[in-house]
Amino acid sequence: MFKRLTCIAAAALLALAASPVFAQGKEKVVLLLNWYVYSEHAPFFLGKERGYFDQEGIDLDIQEGRGSGVTVQAVAAGTATFGYADVATMIKAASKGAPVTAVGVALQTSPMSVMGFAEKNIRKPADIKGKTVAVTPGDSMSQVWPLFLKKTGLKDSDFKTVSGDAQTKLNAVMTGQADLLLGYVMDQAIKLQDATHKDIYPIRFADYGVNMVSSGIIVQKDYLKAHPDVVKRFLRAATRSLEEAAKNPDAAVDAMLKANPKSGVKETALVGMKNTASLYHGPDNPKDRPLRVGATNMDETLALLVEYGGLEKASAGKASDYYTNDFLP
Amino acid sequence: MNPRATARPPQRARWQRVLLSAWVRPVLLVILLLVVWDLAIRLFHIPPYLIPSPWSVVRQLVSEWPRLLKESIPTTYATLGGFAMSIAFGIPMALVIAYSRTVESFVYPLLVFSQSVPKIAIAPLFVVWFGFGIVPKVIAAFMLGFFPIVVSTVMGFKSVDPDMLDLARSMKASRLATFARISLPQALPSIFAGLKVSITLAVVGAVVGEFVGSNSGIGYLLQIANGNFDLPLMFAALTVLSAIGVVLFVAIDVVERLMIPWHASQRHDVALAA
Repeated sequence: MFKRLTCIAAAALLALAASPVFAQGKEKVVLLLNWYVYSEHAPFFLGKERGYFDQEGIDLDIQEGRGSGVTVQAVAAGTATFGYADVATMIKAASKGAPVTAVGVALQTSPMSVMGFAEKNIRKPADIKGKTVAVTPGDSMSQVWPLFLKKTGLKDSDFKTVSGDAQTKLNAVMTGQADLLLGYVMDQAIKLQDATHKDIYPIRFADYGVNMVSSGIIVQKDYLKAHPDVVKRFLRAATRSLEEAAKNPDAAVDAMLKANPKSGVKETALVGMKNTASLYHGPDNPKDRPLRVGATNMDETLALLVEYGGLEKASAGKASDYYTNDFLP
Repeated sequence: MNPRATARPPQRARWQRVLLSAWVRPVLLVILLLVVWDLAIRLFHIPPYLIPSPWSVVRQLVSEWPRLLKESIPTTYATLGGFAMSIAFGIPMALVIAYSRTVESFVYPLLVFSQSVPKIAIAPLFVVWFGFGIVPKVIAAFMLGFFPIVVSTVMGFKSVDPDMLDLARSMKASRLATFARISLPQALPSIFAGLKVSITLAVVGAVVGEFVGSNSGIGYLLQIANGNFDLPLMFAALTVLSAIGVVLFVAIDVVERLMIPWHASQRHDVALAA
């Protein structure tokens, strides 16, 4: 009896001794997304399935978010290790003191667009005249919208506006209460298509000289200082994931749907993934690997935020305060 | 003994009386809470993007006052609209439930069931059904404000003293007279309790409606503040919202005092004032 007890004790001791080694080998990391899973997030599921993160010694846990703002706050407070969130939103939070920074920018061309059913034949800004546009007050698109209007010579009085939350915007267009909504080409466009099986035509802000970086990977500044190695490993795996997803969108969408069967429909999610990959480069760095953002692009984003995005000039600082490419492969 | 001392019973000093008057007490508590809030932020180094300092909220409240006032008008309208609808539907329905066991057995369980449906989940549909105007907000306010009125009105009418009803019957009072002289006055305190709960919930309902789809109102302002990480503005808007709730609550309280000055719940105020 005594012998058996010592045996158990010895085994327990061994297990204890072994566990820190194990923990060192595998870093548990939480990636908090900006929203419920949809095609834009497929690369991370592909990377997880293919073992890119495992190979870097990272045990990745992907969690769904409830808006970029909340994701930024959670990362700033240390609740999540990494966040996948709108970088413009992060800049606003950082200028208010949130200790976060972007370590990689995924979408470097703006996915923002104003979209409606293709059958309504609204294909250029002038077609918006006399129509009704659904917006969500306070979100990033509603703030850049005035700049789009200015660049395209439209006035507020040229069209009607209705405001509502994310779901209401979709409902309004589906029921005909609005002709158009402000949305992302790979998000709302796909959702509308899934729900109605009708084609959507998005007028992209980026095509009319309104460009702004969008989703990126953000991390708490203290964490970056304490664990630069983990961040580097994570970003190596993330870069591989994005590259592979761009080359093989089919596999990326499959991986996402396998992990999250409710996150979409194969055909449209595939379109969404392809649209996402087409935004991986900015106008100033068409050849860089994904996540590596150009300095001009970030400068322009910041300038836009100061002018239109409700960012105070006094606390804005400079673009390099908000991002770094140093931890990318 | 000094005759003057007996003529005027020993009273607390004037500042003490002012300190303990009914109006000052809640204000004191609010000030205390503000101090605790401020201290907590300083002691635990809570950053302003998580919780703003009370001072920054007050500043925002002052500088944004015209806008807050403007946006509070549609919210108040929607609240009052929903509240009026709650009364218009709630009290008659409660009467029928209280006086008919058949109706009660059919309707009451369904009513409780409907109350457990989270309003925020179906609120987007109100916009689909009723558009972007004031109607979806009024409906949302009604959905939240309706139930407490029904429950407390039913309870009020059911707890009328049966001896009094027997007395009325023995004196050959008509049904209408019995209702007007005995049932209604005895049910009024419960009804008012329900109205008070209802008005505070109606404010919440109106804002839920505004969150989901609206071009104006405190809920709309809250969304904008949230999008800009403007937490002081958000808290200022919440303060205004709560103030609307308090004002409406007090208004009902005043009506209650006028209508049932005889009720036990009103008596202690008389003692306090004396």
